[in-house]
Amino acid sequence: MLVLGIETSCDETAAALVADGKDILSNIVATQFDLLKKYGGVVPEIAARRHTELIGYTVEEALDKAGKTLDDVEAVAVSSMQGLIGCLMVGVAAAKSISYARGLPLIGVHHVEGHIFANRLSNPDLPFPHVCLTVSGGHTLLLYVKEESSYELLGTTLDDAAGEAFDKTAKFLGILYADRNTGGGRAIDELSRKGDRLAFNFPRPMLRNKTYDFSFSGLKTSVINMFKDRIAAGKKLPLADIAASFQEAVVDVLVVKTLRAADEYGMKAVSVTGGVSANSRLRSAFEDACAAKGVAVYFPSLSLCTDNAAMIAAAGHARLMRGEVSGLRLNVVPNSPLEGLDERDIN
Amino acid sequence: MIVLGIDTSGYTNAVGIVDGDKVLADFAYEAKTDSLQRIVADIDATLKEAGLALSDVEGIGVGLGPGSWTGIRVGVTVGKMLAFASGKPVCGVPTLEVLAFTARDGSRPICSIIKVGAGDAVYAACYHPEGDFLDRIGDYYVGDVKGLTGMLTGSTVLAGKDVKEYARVIRKESGTNVKAVEAAPGGAVVACLAAQRFARGEKDDVLSLTPLYLKESTAKAFVNKYKRGHA
Ligand SMILES: [Zn+2]
Repeated sequence: MLVLGIETSCDETAAALVADGKDILSNIVATQFDLLKKYGGVVPEIAARRHTELIGYTVEEALDKAGKTLDDVEAVAVSSMQGLIGCLMVGVAAAKSISYARGLPLIGVHHVEGHIFANRLSNPDLPFPHVCLTVSGGHTLLLYVKEESSYELLGTTLDDAAGEAFDKTAKFLGILYADRNTGGGRAIDELSRKGDRLAFNFPRPMLRNKTYDFSFSGLKTSVINMFKDRIAAGKKLPLADIAASFQEAVVDVLVVKTLRAADEYGMKAVSVTGGVSANSRLRSAFEDACAAKGVAVYFPSLSLCTDNAAMIAAAGHARLMRGEVSGLRLNVVPNSPLEGLDERDIN
Repeated sequence: MIVLGIDTSGYTNAVGIVDGDKVLADFAYEAKTDSLQRIVADIDATLKEAGLALSDVEGIGVGLGPGSWTGIRVGVTVGKMLAFASGKPVCGVPTLEVLAFTARDGSRPICSIIKVGAGDAVYAACYHPEGDFLDRIGDYYVGDVKGLTGMLTGSTVLAGKDVKEYARVIRKESGTNVKAVEAAPGGAVVACLAAQRFARGEKDDVLSLTPLYLKESTAKAFVNKYKRGHA
């Protein structure tokens, strides 16, 4: 079963071909970096215009790279839930048109479910049930995954997403790369390797809170305040130490809460996905903590951490195998809960 | 040649089918926020009602706007990806030209007007009819209605929605003799104008086809203004 995946929920125009929900034949991501740099972030109208320009080329490139034609494609899966509304609409309009013109089943996919399936693509042996932490610039969710596509929300962020905290802090510290579309997370990750993660003791928000919810905006503020205090006092600004200490605080909260959930639910497996799961310190901290507790931890390969369409094809394939197909009236839902997807959102 | 025409650029969503100069179907309804939800299903229903399948269609015409930015993205993406997936030629048709074609009145020049979102600004363009063809005179216009008077040469037809009000303003402003003709973008007219271009051996590049926004997005306009201010 060859599935064409399409993803345009934020600032990446992406298309991919995935066979049987597991073999990635192509995974094309056209980034909007040149525009992001100019405007210092994602401007929804500009991103949506760019998707409209790039969508055809991206789909064609995905077919070419895989050495396939539309004749070989058997279904079309598209991010239709969670993201910027105008951006989602371009992908859904494209997917619907291809599905209609070729008489192929259409499957609307929740973008975050795509991130969860990215880990299945990288680790086919990922067991169920497990606890899943999915973290990006747009979301921070801790989930109990009973079985494939069955999610119970344990906690989420009350303010900024973890990736958003990385982006904003990197921007404040002025350490974003001028020439690479790596985002704040990567910049902090790389700078942190040269720094002392114990140099500053930033707060660990919500760490002792009994819930599984997160909060990152206060942490970002305390970095900013400390930065300003040091400037006022004429002290040096060891950027690498600040970055490493900030990163350590975020990682600490994510690891401790995830493992507490694994413990409470008696889970022996943890899955970490989303853009922030590419962070090297997050990976090593999870590996150490999980090894100490005898819990297995799984990460997607680096190319599947950030937004891509292979993960959407994989998630769509699973839904299709269960007989869940969307109709030509499929609409976009910018804010949709992952657990207990409403049938109206899928159809 | 059987041509499918669609337009979701603004206050009307439209699907039409023509075969040569015969209109096989022409379906339009007031657009709300459901263009994305409806358009492909509407294309399917319109084809079926005409006793056709998409495989019978030999070319696709799509209204490029200007109009609602979201609306034209939906229409253009559907038009080009239908063409891409079915291997048929596609032709983008400016929605202002569609309005002008609908409101033709002999050899009188036509000025098509589309309101820009909220506020007083309009998109406009002037056309000269040459038989069944339209020649655009001058550039596209974005600005207030009063500013249009400089573009109008003699007795002109104003085409579009709510043009009676625009005609009143223009008569008062410049004394120009204008005639208001209410017109909405129709699918069959989009198809017909695309068919004209196909007949001349023209078509658009499927992958690079993009909407006719005529206005930069606010963020971009802001950045440009900022640059100018600090030049
Ligand atoms: Zn994402």
